Amino acid sequence: MSGKAASIEVRGVSKRFGAVVALDNVTFDVHAGELFFLLGPSGCGKTTMLRILAGLENPDSGKICFNGTDIAALPPHRRGAPMVFQNYALWPHLSVSENVAFGLVERRLPGAEVAVRTREALRRVGLDGLGGRMPGQLSGGQQQRVVLARALVLNPAIVLLDEPLSNLDAKLRGEMREEIEKLHRETDITFVYVTHDQTEALSLADRMAVMQGGRIRAVGAPLELYHRPPNTFCADFLGESNLLQGIIAGGTGGMVSVKTGVGTFQAVFPAAGSQPAVGCAVNCLIRPESLRCTGREGANRISATVRSMRLNGATTTVDLECNGLPLKAVLLSQYAMDIKPGVQGDWYADQSNTICIVEE
Amino acid sequence: MRVREYILPGLILAFLLVFLVWPLVYVFRNAVVDTQGPTLLYLRMMVTDPAQLEAIGTSFLIATLVTLCSLCMAMPVAWLIARRSFRGRSILSWAILIPMILPPFVGAVGVKILFARFGAFSTLMMWLGITDGPVDWLGAYPLGGVVIMESLHLFPVLYLNLVAAFSNIDPSLEDAAANLGCSPWGVFRRVAMPLAGPGLFAGTILVFIWSFTELGTPLVFGFRRILPVMVYDKVSEAGTNPLGYAQVVLLLLVAGVGFWMSKRMAKSRGGVATLGRMSVTRQEAPLTGFGALLAQVGIGMLLLAAILPHISVVLVSISRTWLSSVIPQGLTLEFYARAIGSELTRTALSNSLLLAVGATVLDVIIGFALAWLCVRKRIIGSDWLDTLSMVPLAVPGIVIAFGYLGCFTGGWFKDSLLDPRFNPMVILAISYAIRRMPYMVRAAHAGMEQTSRVYEEAASNLGATPFRVIRRITLPLIAANLLAGGILCFAFSMLEVSDSLILAQRENFYPITKAIYVLMEQLENGTNVAAALGVWAMALLAAAMLWASSLLGKRMGQMFRAG
Repeated sequence: MSGKAASIEVRGVSKRFGAVVALDNVTFDVHAGELFFLLGPSGCGKTTMLRILAGLENPDSGKICFNGTDIAALPPHRRGAPMVFQNYALWPHLSVSENVAFGLVERRLPGAEVAVRTREALRRVGLDGLGGRMPGQLSGGQQQRVVLARALVLNPAIVLLDEPLSNLDAKLRGEMREEIEKLHRETDITFVYVTHDQTEALSLADRMAVMQGGRIRAVGAPLELYHRPPNTFCADFLGESNLLQGIIAGGTGGMVSVKTGVGTFQAVFPAAGSQPAVGCAVNCLIRPESLRCTGREGANRISATVRSMRLNGATTTVDLECNGLPLKAVLLSQYAMDIKPGVQGDWYADQSNTICIVEE
Repeated sequence: MRVREYILPGLILAFLLVFLVWPLVYVFRNAVVDTQGPTLLYLRMMVTDPAQLEAIGTSFLIATLVTLCSLCMAMPVAWLIARRSFRGRSILSWAILIPMILPPFVGAVGVKILFARFGAFSTLMMWLGITDGPVDWLGAYPLGGVVIMESLHLFPVLYLNLVAAFSNIDPSLEDAAANLGCSPWGVFRRVAMPLAGPGLFAGTILVFIWSFTELGTPLVFGFRRILPVMVYDKVSEAGTNPLGYAQVVLLLLVAGVGFWMSKRMAKSRGGVATLGRMSVTRQEAPLTGFGALLAQVGIGMLLLAAILPHISVVLVSISRTWLSSVIPQGLTLEFYARAIGSELTRTALSNSLLLAVGATVLDVIIGFALAWLCVRKRIIGSDWLDTLSMVPLAVPGIVIAFGYLGCFTGGWFKDSLLDPRFNPMVILAISYAIRRMPYMVRAAHAGMEQTSRVYEEAASNLGATPFRVIRRITLPLIAANLLAGGILCFAFSMLEVSDSLILAQRENFYPITKAIYVLMEQLENGTNVAAALGVWAMALLAAAMLWASSLLGKRMGQMFRAG
């Protein structure tokens, strides 16, 4: 099982540690060759899920298939899914080359091939000529690259990454993010990537699963989950959000009318299933960048006071208040020239960017 | 799968049952069953009879004093060696182990001669005008003699534990404390000490129990009102007096409580996982000028005091007479020739080497396997195995040896390879291994606990079979701990006293210690020849240790710098 990306099926996996439920009936699919993210706050079970994929933990129940084959009985060393560990786990008694060559040696490849592939892997991650060093003599970023090389040198079907960037500084993080994307693009390998950093997931993922409290809250492409989150947790966890509580006042054909504390809005109801009944309690999501100070015909209108504003560079963040409720807007800075704190005015959000979310 | 997992623990359990539990049960049974049937009379006597209570109190006093003295000596030395660099540090760090390499009973012979009524020290005191007449210093202060002798002998044990614990602390944890405004003393007290806590406590318990059950030193000093010597007297007396077995039961109880406490403490603190340590390499603060001189002289003086017994053994071995004079008289090398010239001593040397190697190999295998089962596999019952493997710490060698004599000389085992009367070599190696197994298990345990499991997970994740993970990752990472434990096992096996005296009954099977003991009994310059043989044994040990360290020298240096 190498050389060709594998698909992963996870079906109803549960795992307890004593009284703590780490995973609760988790189900999702990873398509072959995808860069798939497990995203969630710390303690949500995402690392446990990754360790179960690697065979380092055994699930209490559920099924896991690689390429349609159940791998439950396979011990870690036969899974063929090398992992990039959060704290690197570079063996301090082996040199960089020996670390990278480890998996090849375990596969009993001839020495010449091991040497060639090790050198090639180090070159690929930009560590030419550092093979003789000990891991302790490398910087954090370099160590991270060695860990990547150690996994990729095996030309595996699946690579598992456990918060690979969490120990790096912001600049290195940006570089490594691009590096990982490039490595994924250049190889035919399924990447499963665990992180708590939503910007990492949103910017890199082909698809992602959002986890909370041991359960999957949503699975989908980043753009889809960002603009049409199926629940308030995803809405709140991904990016910035204005969430307004309200009740259904009516609606037809995919649009609903929601009565909130700052007015009655027309909103999209994206979730599958029947529309909620009139009087049902819901939330309205308006992303800050969807709020504008000029409106089109038919847009939802909010009368609000500007409390404060911050220039971020290309964009400007504006804190608003309406009927005692705080709201946030993000504008391109060129449209923020005339806005001053204390000014009251009308703000608009397109109906297509106003999302009605029903909590299950 | 399930069944296979229990083969290894099953083998270890069987070994321990046959060679540890059975002899002990045999001894226990004799404590509560006499010729009239079951009785608790002897156990009750232990807590009611004033003579017994006094012996128990004295044993506790000695063990406490020895532990405190050892701590005072080992702590500053370990800190200096682990955390400061100064000229001569590496030599001193090895030299500190020297006090462990002579059996205390031979060292005690040297001290006895040195401090006797007409010995060198007494003569020196009179010559200096401090005392008027000859004083029997050991006769005057026997307890002090025992405490000082045992402390000097045992402080390297604590030192080894402490250096390992200090070196394994992630430097960034101390840097963080200093950075947050902690003074060097505060860093030591609030960060280093708590993190080294498990190592410190383990070492302290070892020393306490060791000195609580030590037989050789008080025996040679004629200090008889102490529990281990009373046990020895009972056993050598007839072997049928059940009171001796009751005393053994009490020794076991004290040791058991000590280890239970040590275990509880380690558990309540949780595992200290130091993973990030490879990102920072410790830079020892250099000592120069006065500081360095102080460190060198301080450690040097301590060493001198510690090897004084050995020096006097050397002096005894090269002089014909050493009475009423500070300097020994009649220098000669004749005793060295005699010490290796005879059939007795030559076979004793080779026997001891063979036995020590055998016992060490056995211990390394068992120690590693047990630590792996307990720390990594955590299979049901592994804690019990671990506890069982610690039991020998609480069992004086004479008890095990006596149990073996009872168990393996009759029945199935009569005239088998395990029968000490037929051929004591196998049973001696096993008894040495059993006696020193706890140190090996502790050492392997500590190494395993201080090495993050993630290293092994990474290896198995990259395709290494469980066996290969152990060979390529686990073993190299804890090699320093195994080596330290192995050297201890080897050194102490070479110098094992009580089992050797009891189990080796035919001359061609004598190990060194028994040969020395037999030689000391001989009239014409026997003590001198015995001392010379002791010096040969010391040289042999030193060579073995040097060889081990040169073999692993560079790698070991790296490992002691924590990656």
